[in-house]
Amino acid sequence: MMKHFTGGVLVALIASAFAGPTADAQAPTAKTAAAAPMRDISGFWALSFDSRKVPAAKLLPRVTRTMIDLHARRDVHAMRWCNLLGMPFVMDSGTPIDIRQGPTTIVIAPENNPAPRYLYLNRKHVDPNIYDQSTNGDSIANWESDTLIVDTIGFHATRGVTSIPGGGFKTDKSHLVERYRVLENGEVLSVTFTWTDPAVYAAPHTYEFRYRRLPTTYEPVSSWPCDPYNETRAQFLGDPAPFTASGRR
Amino acid sequence: MTQHSFGRSLAALGAATLVVLAASAITRISAQTTPQSLGGIERLEGDWVRIDPNGSGDFGGLTSKFTPASLTPEGRTAAESMRRVQAAPRGPAYTDDKPHNPGEPYIVVSRPCASGPFGGGALGINPDSGAIHVVIGKDEIILAPERGGIRHIYMDGRKHPDVSRWTPTGSGHSVGHVENGELVVDTMGISPGGVTAGGWRTPETHLIEHFVVSPDGEHLTIKYRWDDPKVYQKPHEYEYQLDRLPAGSYAFEEWCDASDPIEQQSVVPPPQ
Repeated sequence: MMKHFTGGVLVALIASAFAGPTADAQAPTAKTAAAAPMRDISGFWALSFDSRKVPAAKLLPRVTRTMIDLHARRDVHAMRWCNLLGMPFVMDSGTPIDIRQGPTTIVIAPENNPAPRYLYLNRKHVDPNIYDQSTNGDSIANWESDTLIVDTIGFHATRGVTSIPGGGFKTDKSHLVERYRVLENGEVLSVTFTWTDPAVYAAPHTYEFRYRRLPTTYEPVSSWPCDPYNETRAQFLGDPAPFTASGRR
Repeated sequence: MTQHSFGRSLAALGAATLVVLAASAITRISAQTTPQSLGGIERLEGDWVRIDPNGSGDFGGLTSKFTPASLTPEGRTAAESMRRVQAAPRGPAYTDDKPHNPGEPYIVVSRPCASGPFGGGALGINPDSGAIHVVIGKDEIILAPERGGIRHIYMDGRKHPDVSRWTPTGSGHSVGHVENGELVVDTMGISPGGVTAGGWRTPETHLIEHFVVSPDGEHLTIKYRWDDPKVYQKPHEYEYQLDRLPAGSYAFEEWCDASDPIEQQSVVPPPQ
């Protein structure tokens, strides 16, 4: 009798395990969507006035006010000359972000910035010895249950906006880990950002943004004008970190 | 059943359960990350770069093999007007033909980075030598040219907006669907300007593109068809050929700081 009972339990377990993936593979119903972890962050997402939780960063003693001010002046320079602005700015640029998840890559396209972020799902980091450092860095991503973990290195030390919310700035040694989770029945996207840098932070610096989902009918503005030769605009912004004759800023 | 045989059964049950759970986990991950409704166009995802199938060495040589556009009188007038603007003198940067001293750079660009990276995704319509990067989402496809701009292709069945209420952009408004495993995109609302092989476009012009990936997934043909009875006597058609970038490729960043003097320069004569 025990042999029959054991065999029956085994059959039941096998049947239930294969029933699970088949249900997930079908078109999602409300029931299956609620049961399965949300593994798609696609959508148009926007920050509002109550979307940010940013504590003050713990900076190393070597990070002086002078250094912080220089980065702030270079940030204004980057905006004044319509440079690519990069991370972390593109995640809070004043306009919504468009996230699209494909089979191998997730792209994050900020509405007012022309260089999207690519989060590669199918590879490791590019060899840092050959990677062309960039304002967005080299991002790879993988899912852990219902959380997308994004790991980014390879930031350019001086290009784009380098100041980080809460204090500090990115360098070519900076390491960013982001955790993306969809909350509140798919209406909120929580993103926590954790920065570490041996030259800047005394402890990992973590802050969180919560984006609100925009309607699926939303369409981004495809062209935000940025003319570096517009004199009125140039006078409005100024350039606190111009190139000198020697090419330094 | 003896205690020994019950123990063996329990061990076998545990091992089998572990195998089954592992298999179901793998299947579950595959089911949730494999697109359910992409109809075969997921092979389009990735990084592509135009190739020179003619061996011509430049874009003019490439397009010389295309059938020239047959324009209406209105279309010809508009295209000629653009050509006159493009041919106009563009300042001393383009007329400096005197020898320079060592260390004195030739200034060849008077306003570097002027078109800026903030274009409306025009290179997503007409890619040049920079790569294009395609991400296939369920409801929207992003086509991002490496040299700047983002093109949105909506796949959720929405219609084009009223063109009279649409601000034209470099990439217009694009809606797409899948036909026999091919992505077909319909675009209107593109800002006025020239089209490859002598064509012309207005915001009312419709562009139909077919993105055809080769069976081995390594080659992409984009078939263009421009249609506008005000501009063309008959639809204007041509094809671009692209190759997939090697595995491990990634999107470069096109950096340009307009205030950096280096961006204006070409050759700097060395010390003699």
